[in-house]
Amino acid sequence: MKKEELREHGFIVWITGLPASGKSTIAEGVEKELRARGLKVEVFDGDEVRKNLSKGLGFSKEDRDTHNKRIIYVCRLLTRNGVNAIVSLISPYRSTRAYAREQLPKFVEVYLKCSLEECMRRDPKGLYKKALAGEIPNMTGIQDPYEEPLNPEVTLNTENDTSKQNIMKVMQKLRDLGYLD
Amino acid sequence: MSKKKVLVIGLDCAPPELLFDGFINDLPNLKKLLQHGVHARMESSHPPITIPAWMVMATSKNMGKLGLYGFRHRKPGTYNEIWLANSYSVEEKTVWDILGEHGKKVIVIGVPPAYPPRAVNGYLVSCFMTPSTEKDYTYPKELKKEIENLVGEYIIDVVFRTEEKDKMLKQLYEMTEKRFKVIEYLMKNKPWNFIMFVEIGVDRIHHAFWKFFDKQHHLYQPGNKYENAIKEYYQFVDNKIGKLLKLTDKNTTVIVVSDHGAKRMKGAFSINEWLIEKGYLVLKKRPEKIISVQEAEVDWSKTKAWGWGGYHARVFLNVKGREPQGTISPKDFKKIRNQLIEDLKAIRGPNGEKWSTKVYTPEEIYPDGKGDYPDLTIYFDNLSWRSAGTIGYDSSYLPENDKGPDDAVHAQYGVFILYDPKKKRGRKIEDINLLDVAPTILAIMNIPVPPDMEGKIVREVL
Repeated sequence: MKKEELREHGFIVWITGLPASGKSTIAEGVEKELRARGLKVEVFDGDEVRKNLSKGLGFSKEDRDTHNKRIIYVCRLLTRNGVNAIVSLISPYRSTRAYAREQLPKFVEVYLKCSLEECMRRDPKGLYKKALAGEIPNMTGIQDPYEEPLNPEVTLNTENDTSKQNIMKVMQKLRDLGYLD
Repeated sequence: MSKKKVLVIGLDCAPPELLFDGFINDLPNLKKLLQHGVHARMESSHPPITIPAWMVMATSKNMGKLGLYGFRHRKPGTYNEIWLANSYSVEEKTVWDILGEHGKKVIVIGVPPAYPPRAVNGYLVSCFMTPSTEKDYTYPKELKKEIENLVGEYIIDVVFRTEEKDKMLKQLYEMTEKRFKVIEYLMKNKPWNFIMFVEIGVDRIHHAFWKFFDKQHHLYQPGNKYENAIKEYYQFVDNKIGKLLKLTDKNTTVIVVSDHGAKRMKGAFSINEWLIEKGYLVLKKRPEKIISVQEAEVDWSKTKAWGWGGYHARVFLNVKGREPQGTISPKDFKKIRNQLIEDLKAIRGPNGEKWSTKVYTPEEIYPDGKGDYPDLTIYFDNLSWRSAGTIGYDSSYLPENDKGPDDAVHAQYGVFILYDPKKKRGRKIEDINLLDVAPTILAIMNIPVPPDMEGKIVREVL
């Protein structure tokens, strides 16, 4: 891709982490700061996206892959037209995230590091509880694996650091990468 | 809902010597606040520098906790690479972040570092760090248009290290005129519970004109045409403050603060020339002209320490395993640093006079420090001599700043005045600290003070 084209291209903040690791909080905060700069930004977060893009798909590896790839496809459409996007998605598999990186030129992988114990303690939607009771079969962190990113652009400690600290770290990284003034 | 409002007037660099004593009788509005309010000297951060002092005040967190040690920071493990602080570098909540979370409307103007502009629950205008007014410098973005409709091109800052004094003064007045016009406009037209602004012009006039008014200054010339430049500017600002006070009601507490003080500069001391002389810094070749140490041909394999300029000096040690060509083994680090501290403290003035140089280790001033702090922080003759980072001189003692004319240095104490129209009293209280401002504002507005704020509520004002 030519330099000029790349400059016009939107960037992707891809937030990955266990359920209840704080992805939505970071996504909301980063969205607010990006909008404060007058940037066009779209947020893909959780159930709403699944309902509209992937109705009927479940949580098997195959279904997750399909769902994630659909999001990557939509992000590609947006970013090539100069719209930035924040994706807040468990996206537990390295291969899927590697595919996203390949497809999206300005890809910023943000890994939310939070222990499983802490995520289970938070459990705002009661998902871990249900998974442990056997009511949910493919819960990431319980039955299904979460493959930690090996080389993310940003690693956030959402267990000990405040959301402001983490949001500012993402903003700073976008600036360091030259995606923001 | 509480009707309490707070207006914080920030006068960058205003020292108690001028505001409480020297000029006060010529500043009727500030005098009224002083006479009917509570005032104190306010201790600044170590070192007392604009960035991050305003954020120490706004967050009630020390520099170490903020991880901000100035405008410039050395990138770890490098000799010459730096990173610059910006608004995203402030990761702790400011008092206006907290007020916003409690539904209070805030207006924040020029409190550094404020570029890039961040989202607040209200309105924000960026600070002197804004690269140009062509950039977006407001939150929301649309506010910029309102400002431009009101004042034309907004002025972010002035070039103050210049010999063109008349031009600088003209720009300075124009900048301040526009700033106060914007503040007045926002106060009148936007909802607010809290306003804080910083007038950077006060700092700029100190640095540009101190030698013209301070009879003790080594470059002072009696009868010069700028003798009253600083006082007249203070009067101008006081008059503008008077206009803002007319827009406040009996529920508005007015607070006047500065981030640090100011005093006359006695000269500049070339830290790196001195380090060369003492054998701590080794060059491959003496420069033929004045250059920065970054441009010099340093023999890092023989160098133990190098320094940076500024109102204070920062010194970095060349440590094995930390710097690319480190020479000091970690086990010798403290021994060599202690020797260097002793040598620095023994420095005398150009005429052999005793200096009261202060040297701080990070453990002393940033016990829980994070990020990229220097190995030593030095105040030559308690900040009266600024530090020059450049080399190529015959002597370490320079009569003027190496980076353009600058007559003043920073001082450890700034000002705090608090005026509550319902509780008139007029008294001076014990010194307070920058850290105390944010909790005091929250207490006034009946908002719980987060337990991790480091300052105390100034009880005398409640």
